[in-house]
Amino acid sequence: MRQSNIGWLFLAPATLILFVVGFVPFIYILYVGFFDWNTNAVDPTLRWAGLQNYRSLVFDTTFLNSLARTLVFAFFVVVSELLLGYVLARALMADRLWGRQFFRTMHTLPIVVAPIAVGATWRLLCVPGFGIVPYYLKLWFGIDYNISTNAYHAFATAIIMDLWHWMPFVTLSLMAGLTALPKEPLEQAQIDGGNKLQIFWYVIVPMLKPVLLTTVFIRLMDALRSVDEIWMLTKGGPAEATRFIGLHIWINVFPKTDYGYGAAMSLLTLYVTIVLSWLLFVAMTGRKGGAQ
Amino acid sequence: MNSFVKAVGVGFISLGLWSSTALAQDSWWKTAAQPYQGATIRGISESTPASKYVEQVLGPKFTEETGINVEFEATSWDQMYDKAIKDMEANTGIYDFVYIEQDIVYTYLARNFLVDITKSLADNAKIASPDFKPENFTTFLNYFKDPKSGNVMGVPMEAFIKPYLYRKDLFDDPAIQKAYKDSTGADLKPATTHDEYTQIAKFFTEYGADKELWGTTVQASSSHPAAFYEFFESIAPTFGVYNWGIDGTTFAATEANGGQMNSAAAKKALNYWVGLLKYAPPESTSSTWDEVAGTFAAGRAAQGLVYGENAAWIATDESKSTVVGKVGVSLPPVEAGVMEAAESGKGYIGYYDGGAFGIPHSSKNKDASLLFLQYIGQASVQTDWALAGSRIVMNSTYDDPKIVDQDNKMNGYYTLMREDGKLFAGAPPFPFHSQVLQVVAPFIYKAIVGEIKPDDALDQAATAAEAELVKLGYRK
Repeated sequence: MRQSNIGWLFLAPATLILFVVGFVPFIYILYVGFFDWNTNAVDPTLRWAGLQNYRSLVFDTTFLNSLARTLVFAFFVVVSELLLGYVLARALMADRLWGRQFFRTMHTLPIVVAPIAVGATWRLLCVPGFGIVPYYLKLWFGIDYNISTNAYHAFATAIIMDLWHWMPFVTLSLMAGLTALPKEPLEQAQIDGGNKLQIFWYVIVPMLKPVLLTTVFIRLMDALRSVDEIWMLTKGGPAEATRFIGLHIWINVFPKTDYGYGAAMSLLTLYVTIVLSWLLFVAMTGRKGGAQ
Repeated sequence: MNSFVKAVGVGFISLGLWSSTALAQDSWWKTAAQPYQGATIRGISESTPASKYVEQVLGPKFTEETGINVEFEATSWDQMYDKAIKDMEANTGIYDFVYIEQDIVYTYLARNFLVDITKSLADNAKIASPDFKPENFTTFLNYFKDPKSGNVMGVPMEAFIKPYLYRKDLFDDPAIQKAYKDSTGADLKPATTHDEYTQIAKFFTEYGADKELWGTTVQASSSHPAAFYEFFESIAPTFGVYNWGIDGTTFAATEANGGQMNSAAAKKALNYWVGLLKYAPPESTSSTWDEVAGTFAAGRAAQGLVYGENAAWIATDESKSTVVGKVGVSLPPVEAGVMEAAESGKGYIGYYDGGAFGIPHSSKNKDASLLFLQYIGQASVQTDWALAGSRIVMNSTYDDPKIVDQDNKMNGYYTLMREDGKLFAGAPPFPFHSQVLQVVAPFIYKAIVGEIKPDDALDQAATAAEAELVKLGYRK
């Protein structure tokens, strides 16, 4: 009993901080979402709107497009990072790789760069007229690459930038997971005559599942809330081609000062993220709850 | 004894005289700032040549003279607004003075963000400098006065027009003039109409195909409000569409309801502007005001509308510009009848931009900030500031020999601003500036990238603007 009380005492500061910075703002946003509130309106006070903000969201094509675009972005980013990250992890674990430590260090460096700096650097690389990427793509392949007029170019560049920045994280996670795998099941599978693909699919993947699950969740949630890198790279353009949901919410809440509607957007996005994560969890573990 | 008393008396008199002389040598600023010695005031501004001068020269000078420290943050336009507005909304008091761009002042006034400078100085005469005289400023100061009381709410720190810059060296080149005449049948001279401007742009794009030279700059970032501003504040007025096409009384935007945003003139303007992209360098669709200035300074465009804050360094600073001594300046091209309307005061032909520094109510060092704002509002600091930032906010600055000399190097930019500044105008007095901008701008972006046609873009933009104005309660 005494031990239990001490445990709660130790947890108290963290719980208090979480309550203040997590739960209280959540309740506040929930509250604001039921009001029409714009400080630049003729009436700048909070006016009760009930569920009107949520009803409007269902018919708001800009919001829905933004959400759909974000999901597509997250899908491409997470799948690509997982596949390429695994390949790189295996490559960087290979004994035959000369200068392995050097490559591991170099490969990990992008993680420590601030997202805003990553976005700015990629913008300089890709800016039409001056950037080296459009210059060499034109010179070598005749491609008129332009992230400020071509929606596909901008979208693809956003994905590649995210890969460059965050794939090392996936690689590191998978390397840690692969290193910790017991050798016996792998040796047993080889003795039983399993080929490389079978060993990968039936032995390695199941054993890596906890690591994969954690990595996918982290990357998925990061990808769904991408703002700063994209802001620096394209500012959501051309037109709205890379206006992902985080950016869309920011524009509504700050420059437009549409606090009620922005709060509703935030909550709906949170709901979508939770549902998506739950579906993913179920799909990857076959369980409907009780993660172990 | 008697002589001792005399000696002591003389000593006291000398000491008194010395100390009074020493006090007299202290500047008014030092005396007035005495109670605030060691205080630190923080300000934020958009990073412009004029604000960099404040950061690098005026701030340190003020500190030297008063003992009040100035921490000045010159950042991007978006960041500046984001930080300043959040600070004032939350009443956190991080900033003691903030940049108020001419077009946002109505929002700040409507939300009661700003300290009344006239009243504050009247209430505290000890810190009212005899060198700060509002009557010294040009009429640009009027934008920063409270419409109800007429009191000053911000001290102008930069003001400029957005003129038509052209490459004088190219326009004056006899070989190019001949080629132009052969090609178009017309004489090569700065355009006065949109047709002439397009013709010149087309000619120079063809002429410069192998020279990294294009016909015009276009401030057409496909995802930055700069595109909205160039179209509604610099292009649309030259077609006779004013105040963003929004009726200032009924707040109608669609032509059907009495607005002009999707009028025939506005559509003609957007088609013209988007059409210029054919003759603009590839960076144009990602260009804000800074990149447009950079493009012109790099010698990549033969003509363009460039914010005047950049005119001085483009025309005179060899360390940054490749077109020093090659820049001509003129009025923007207009449609028939627009110039006459502007001259009669019924319209305008371009944007008269600039900004002031104001003090938020949330400031924790209002008196020290008032001193700083008066310091930068003295006539004596204006000339060097103008040389650095091509900004003029006082009439007397125009006549300074240094400015006259720079005006000659800039082929008459200041003369143009002084004589024809009345033809330009600031942004309309809309307290919903940012809200309408955010709603309308995406349609302009879509027109730029060709996602929708310019006519459709303006139809949709006008409808969306009206819906937003209804939602905000301005339009019934």
